[in-house]
Amino acid sequence: MKKMDSLQGSLDLLVLKILSRRPRTHGYGIMAAVKEASSDLLRVEEGSLYPALYRMEEAGWIHAEWIKKDSGRRARVYELTDEGRKQLGFEESRWRELTSAVNQVLRIV
Amino acid sequence: MSLWSRIVNVFRGESLNRQIAEEFEFHIAEAIEHGRDPAEARRALGLGFRHREESHDARVVPALDSIRVDMVFAWRQIRRNPGFTFTVVITLALAVGANTAIFSLVNALLLKPLPYPQPERLVSIYSRLTGSMASDQRIDLDGQQWESLRDQVPSLLAAVSSNSAEGVNLKSAARVQYVHAGRVSASYFQVLGFRPALGRGFSSDEDRPLGPPAAVLSYALWRTMFAADPAIVGRGILLKGQPYSVVGVLPENAQTPLAADLYTPLQPGLDGEGIGTNYAVIARLRPGATWEQADSELARAWDPYIQRFSQRNPGQRLAFHTVPLQQGQTGSLRPRVLVLMLAAGFILMIACANLAGLTLLRVLRRTSEIATRIALGASRWHIQRQLWVENLLLALIGGAAGTCVGFLALRGLLALLPAQFLPVSSVPLDLRVLSFALSVSLATSVLFGMLPALATRRLHLRSAIAGRATSAKQTLRLRQALIAGEIALTVVLLTGSGLLIRSLIYLETQPAGFNPTGVLTAKASLDDARYRDPAAFRRLLDQSLAAMDQIPGVRNAAVGLNLPYERPLNDTVTLRDGAQAGQQVATDAIYVSPAYFDTLQIPLLAGRAFSPSDGPAAQPVTIVNRSFARKLLHTENPVGRYLDRDLLIVGMVADVAVSPGLDSAAPLTTEETIYVPAAQINAKLLALVHVWFQPSWIVRTEGSVAGLPGQMQRTLAAVDPNLPFSGFYSMSDLEAESLSTQRIEVALLGTMALLAILLSAVGIFALVANLVEQQSRAIGIRLALGSTIVRAMVHTGRSGVTASMAGLLLGLAISAILLRAMHSVIYGVDVYDPPTVLTVAAGLAMVTLVATTVPVLRIAAIDPVQTLRAE
Repeated sequence: MKKMDSLQGSLDLLVLKILSRRPRTHGYGIMAAVKEASSDLLRVEEGSLYPALYRMEEAGWIHAEWIKKDSGRRARVYELTDEGRKQLGFEESRWRELTSAVNQVLRIV
Repeated sequence: MSLWSRIVNVFRGESLNRQIAEEFEFHIAEAIEHGRDPAEARRALGLGFRHREESHDARVVPALDSIRVDMVFAWRQIRRNPGFTFTVVITLALAVGANTAIFSLVNALLLKPLPYPQPERLVSIYSRLTGSMASDQRIDLDGQQWESLRDQVPSLLAAVSSNSAEGVNLKSAARVQYVHAGRVSASYFQVLGFRPALGRGFSSDEDRPLGPPAAVLSYALWRTMFAADPAIVGRGILLKGQPYSVVGVLPENAQTPLAADLYTPLQPGLDGEGIGTNYAVIARLRPGATWEQADSELARAWDPYIQRFSQRNPGQRLAFHTVPLQQGQTGSLRPRVLVLMLAAGFILMIACANLAGLTLLRVLRRTSEIATRIALGASRWHIQRQLWVENLLLALIGGAAGTCVGFLALRGLLALLPAQFLPVSSVPLDLRVLSFALSVSLATSVLFGMLPALATRRLHLRSAIAGRATSAKQTLRLRQALIAGEIALTVVLLTGSGLLIRSLIYLETQPAGFNPTGVLTAKASLDDARYRDPAAFRRLLDQSLAAMDQIPGVRNAAVGLNLPYERPLNDTVTLRDGAQAGQQVATDAIYVSPAYFDTLQIPLLAGRAFSPSDGPAAQPVTIVNRSFARKLLHTENPVGRYLDRDLLIVGMVADVAVSPGLDSAAPLTTEETIYVPAAQINAKLLALVHVWFQPSWIVRTEGSVAGLPGQMQRTLAAVDPNLPFSGFYSMSDLEAESLSTQRIEVALLGTMALLAILLSAVGIFALVANLVEQQSRAIGIRLALGSTIVRAMVHTGRSGVTASMAGLLLGLAISAILLRAMHSVIYGVDVYDPPTVLTVAAGLAMVTLVATTVPVLRIAAIDPVQTLRAE
């Protein structure tokens, strides 16, 4: 778990953001959406995605549900809870603060 | 996901894993659909294993989950070694069972509150003597003491009662029944806190001497004999041959210390019964009053009594104090029960020593497995936890089995006890007992798990993986010490129960002083208005005995106020001559019909027996027993001497065994006794003794007579149809009852001693058997080098014998110190009894020999060539 700490902030933000736009998306869909929206620049490590999803589910930010796909397989889809929405706002503003702070440093030095 | 669902997920491990796997499979399928290479997609998802573990951890409480895994593993270990598991569970079942059964008694007697409201404020009264005759015991009161207690101790609401429920005749409709009546003072039910279900308790008017006859029924009697008649209050019943009016019915489940069927007013006074200390007392602290207050008021109220006592007994100091009723009621049983608890604790420790040895061996056998696991990255903490979980699981299984064993043992024990032996109505297996059994089981798991757990902490990985035994010598020493310890405890138990057995044998083989075989007895209550007149009483005896003599097969019939083995009436007589002339002495006094000595075959040593001519108008006569003659008259032939004013001694008979009344030196003893003719008892004494005692009709037959009880009952009914017998007893019944406490003690302690020696034998056996197995290679070498099989056997078996002998010596030393406390409960045998010690030592030697010989016999089967090639 510890190994992911550095990644965690941005991974959570990305997952929450995707789910706010596309509710009821499964793990693979989330990964594909990140890739697509970032024009292939960002890649979610598949090995980190699921532990992150379960952790967020445990935190009560997202809610999971099994649905039946046309292929006959079952997929586990995720959507934001109210708490998740709050968390998304919080993460977004934190990200903005962080990036503006980093930009500031880059400009000055 | 909440903590709760994570905890729940621990127990849904498999389905959770399946769900995660399914989600991953879906992920991979999706990736393939999007044109990715299946193998690459699988790789990209990461090492499936690690991945799943992390995903899994997020959804469960990891620590709990690994305990679940440990449990599953432990369960498999337990199932894989059925022999080991069986031994451990049986050992624990016996040890925990013994403890559970004994603790149930402790719980019922000493811990469970008495079945009265606010039981902690109920009081019994003790007297404490300091000086040469130091004692501290519960007391009964005389009339004077009772009146001062009632009137001058405002912090106590006190009541007195008869000492036990007495047999009386109750007639209702056409039926007469022998029931047990308790006599109680007016405030008795108030002190216990009972509100009658119907009517009221006794008024102070009814409790005055010669007050109106009133009765309170127990709920059970009201139901059975009066068909729960709701209009019973105010109705008349015929009790003790005279009309009583029912004033109340006690509530259901109301048990008094007397446990009587019905109650009548005690009517305590200064005269008659009130002259002696014949009143049992209970009291309740009034609201707001304290124990200290009660004590100081008591000291003031009874000061004249205390002063009188110290004048008469210089150097002795008497004081009275209050003691909680529960403690007072169980005072005599308490030390006995605690001794049993201690013995049960010994059993537990012996069992733990065995189990510690066994689990130690098992862990040592598993060292290479454990070392491998450590080498593969398991933490030592994890290994420790694994071992503890296994111990815990074993202890819980053993504890559950033990509770069942305890329950059965308790049922057996209660069946063994005579009715009314315990001052409580039931001995339940309640929550307190169950939690005790659980804590005992947990404690054993800690005790026997400690050693192996410590042993694995000093594990040398390299040598362990190589499969070499770890410090075999040190382990052997440790196991020998354990065996020695458990044998020491066994020796204490064996010696203790050996002394009790010797004491019981002494009591049972004491000369009875009469011929107890071929005698049947039955009691009837003469506490009856119709028999207060001595003439009516004489008529009853003459007619009933003459009729019983006519029953075919009956050789003699007689009546006596008391039988051998019973506790007789204590009386005083004045000596007429000798150094003690004019002095009053205490003696047992028994009225008998002329044929009493013939019927019981009590040998007449001097003079004559009573005859029908010793009537009310004739010279008052008595027959004394040999103890009376020797101790009080200092003669072997007292015939012709006088007691009191003009009581002529006409004969001397042999001593018979009785329960002690004068001096409780032993549960069966001989006491100074005078016998008087039933025909010469005066009216006042007759009425009084029949309140306390129910006389016995005694019949001696030639061989066995079919239907004798029925014939006796019919014969008595022909003389008086309203006089029922209480039941029929043989002399061995009476002897058994007087020695019941001793028998129970022997049975219980003996069982535990047997259990102890059995466990010890198993311990020695296991030690030696393991040694044979461990050293088979060394033994093989010895044999190959020319040692004989016998020498190899002796060499190997020595370890068990050494441990056992060390244990024996230690145990004897402990016994010498500990068993001195048994001094007061053994009779006719010294605490340092050579036969007992020798028997214990010989018995233990035998057991040791068997337990070491059986395993070393396997040495004979060792083939040196085979063992040398084995490695």
